[in-house]
Amino acid sequence: MPDLMQAELKTQTHAAEAVREMTYAHAIREALQLAMRRDERVFMLGEDIGVYGGAFGVTDGLIEEFGAERVRDTPISEAVIAGAAIGAAVTGMRPVAEIQFMDFITLSMEQLVLQGAKMRFMFGGKASVPLVLRTPAGSGTGAAAQHSESLEAWFVHVPGLKVVMPATPYDAKGLLLAAIEDDNPVIFVEHKLLYRTKGHVPEGYYIVPLSQSEVKREGRDVTVVATSIMVPRALEAADLLAQEGIELEVVDPRTLKPYDAATVTRSVCKTGRALVVHEAPKTGGFGAEVVAEIVAGEAFDYLDAPVRRLAGLDVPIPYNRELERTAVPQVADIVREARALARGEY
Amino acid sequence: MPVPVIMPKFSMTQEEGRVMAWLVAEGDIVEKGDPLLEVETDKVTMEVEAPESGVLRGVAVKEGDVAPVTAVIAHIVLPGEVWRAEPVKATPVAQRVAAAAGVNVGDVPAAGKVRRQDVEAYLGKVRATPAARRLARAQGVDLTAVNGSGPHGRVQAKDVIGPVVEEKAVQPVSAMRRTIAERLTRSYQTIPHITFTVAADMTAVTDLRRRLNERGDGATVSVTAVLVKVCAWALGRQPLVNASWREDGIQLHEQAHIGVAVALDDGLIVPVVQNAAHLGLAAIAEQVQDLTARARNGRLQPADVQGGTFTISNLGMWGVEQFTAVINPPQSAILAVGRTVKQPVVVETAVGDELVIRPMMKMTLSVDHRIIDGAVAARFLQDVVAALEQPDRLLW
Repeated sequence: MPDLMQAELKTQTHAAEAVREMTYAHAIREALQLAMRRDERVFMLGEDIGVYGGAFGVTDGLIEEFGAERVRDTPISEAVIAGAAIGAAVTGMRPVAEIQFMDFITLSMEQLVLQGAKMRFMFGGKASVPLVLRTPAGSGTGAAAQHSESLEAWFVHVPGLKVVMPATPYDAKGLLLAAIEDDNPVIFVEHKLLYRTKGHVPEGYYIVPLSQSEVKREGRDVTVVATSIMVPRALEAADLLAQEGIELEVVDPRTLKPYDAATVTRSVCKTGRALVVHEAPKTGGFGAEVVAEIVAGEAFDYLDAPVRRLAGLDVPIPYNRELERTAVPQVADIVREARALARGEY
Repeated sequence: MPVPVIMPKFSMTQEEGRVMAWLVAEGDIVEKGDPLLEVETDKVTMEVEAPESGVLRGVAVKEGDVAPVTAVIAHIVLPGEVWRAEPVKATPVAQRVAAAAGVNVGDVPAAGKVRRQDVEAYLGKVRATPAARRLARAQGVDLTAVNGSGPHGRVQAKDVIGPVVEEKAVQPVSAMRRTIAERLTRSYQTIPHITFTVAADMTAVTDLRRRLNERGDGATVSVTAVLVKVCAWALGRQPLVNASWREDGIQLHEQAHIGVAVALDDGLIVPVVQNAAHLGLAAIAEQVQDLTARARNGRLQPADVQGGTFTISNLGMWGVEQFTAVINPPQSAILAVGRTVKQPVVVETAVGDELVIRPMMKMTLSVDHRIIDGAVAARFLQDVVAALEQPDRLLW
């Protein structure tokens, strides 16, 4: 699978160059290039990111430009990747580590949660950990339960960590550059299915500030708060429902922690109805946090229907492709839920 | 509330009882303690006494039938109470909610079957979304009176405010528009308007205008110019129509200054022909033409629009047949003039009634009833019609 995907990525990205439309994967690669050219303290480490170009081809070609010193292939040990990156960050480097599948970030938890997240606080601000940890999450590739997890909520719960989850090529590039500039450890959650999606990406260095939610589409009837792969699915649902006269407003938090709840609140004050959509399992998911912020604040008095959540089932992702699709929200699910909300059926 | 009669429990193990005989018929009066019915258990046959004095109603178990102990088998309706003969229809949920709240479901007002929301409304509980509650608070709406369109009768925002209509952006208004709005609102709210409509045969005026305008040596004599002249003359004969209401009394005006309403692109303005009674038709025609032209060019002087004591609003040239105008304060009357239209008219001749075609014009006079009664308004209109139909009366 990786070989095939890499080949496709290469042709796609080269064709797209002329119109500055590029894939999400290419936008991330461009951000890494720009950051490494700009600041020699920035370097990368991870499994197969060098000669092989990364499991999804994101880092393809970077070792040629920056060399094996700055694009470091590591042993298959996620604890070492996280630990070495944190150590390098504390000593003044600005590492960008890659965990090949978010599932295996479980092996990095002690380093990230007990060490990296706490150092700045435990040393009274004398240490900082300017680390970015990139990792692809999500299902949809038929890779089964141990290569399909969406674990972002774990990190949202840890003080000291920031969590970023871009949904578009534009945001992926701008948010990654912002994350690299940030002096705190940032978990940068990519999505396997988004790598091949295309969108407008400006040339050169630019920042999408962390902690700014964005209204991806305006509408008057229902606010849909969606993260990562659910953003394009919500936008597709919005197109379909627009034909029925139902206008969805799609809001993408982009940064899950620290979370900009105000943008969502403003939107819900306008629409009076909210649907929160994410791929990760519903129970204990980030959506619960979004809903809590909606009902706890100013938007409460504007709610005209119960706030609904649409999320992954509370099951490990199945290997069977049909079951895999069933386990996470699809466009038709968003259409059904948003339509029912708009029609006042809840 | 009617007192229930229940199937009594005579022994520890008894679970049901059979009604052997009702000793009192449905609708009969019983005294407390009177024997009411005979009940048979597996062990004994006993008489059951009336629990209260009243009328036996709602017998639910026929003679020979069995009912579980504590089941309600009839009611005693107390003096002054009304018995609802119809059994109360209620949904199971409504019955459960009512029972939980200790409410007799029969007391809940409902259109048809009692539903859960009827019980909740009776209990003062309203299902409403936060948005509906916020809007109801802001608009002083009683939510218990609103019919909820949501699930379980939940009141939603649209039930409080009605369907949302897409509005165009609010246009800022000119100073003139604001003045018109303020003056006419005050006029309509404070002046008791009464209106009178008459029709005048315009044959003579048409002929007069044709002859004068053929001379070609002055301003064109319009219908409006003729009306200014005629009204100034008629106002001299009915001074109350040429007056203003004031806190301390009625101010009669010495002179008749006739305002002529002129439509503009973004409003209207009323320039005034001063002292019209003392002007000849040629001078009036010239002034009306000049004032109208300057009004449309925005070149009126303050003096041109001040001091009016009566207003003429002529929409005849726009094809309007008849309309009602709002009095222009502090004046007490305004004449709304429609178009001249050829109509079949019955006229009396020496040889009897005859159907002829005549150019007729309708006019509606609005007056301030605080000053002007119907008879005064009618006399004024009679004069106006007479002068239009026989212009030589103006020479009197």
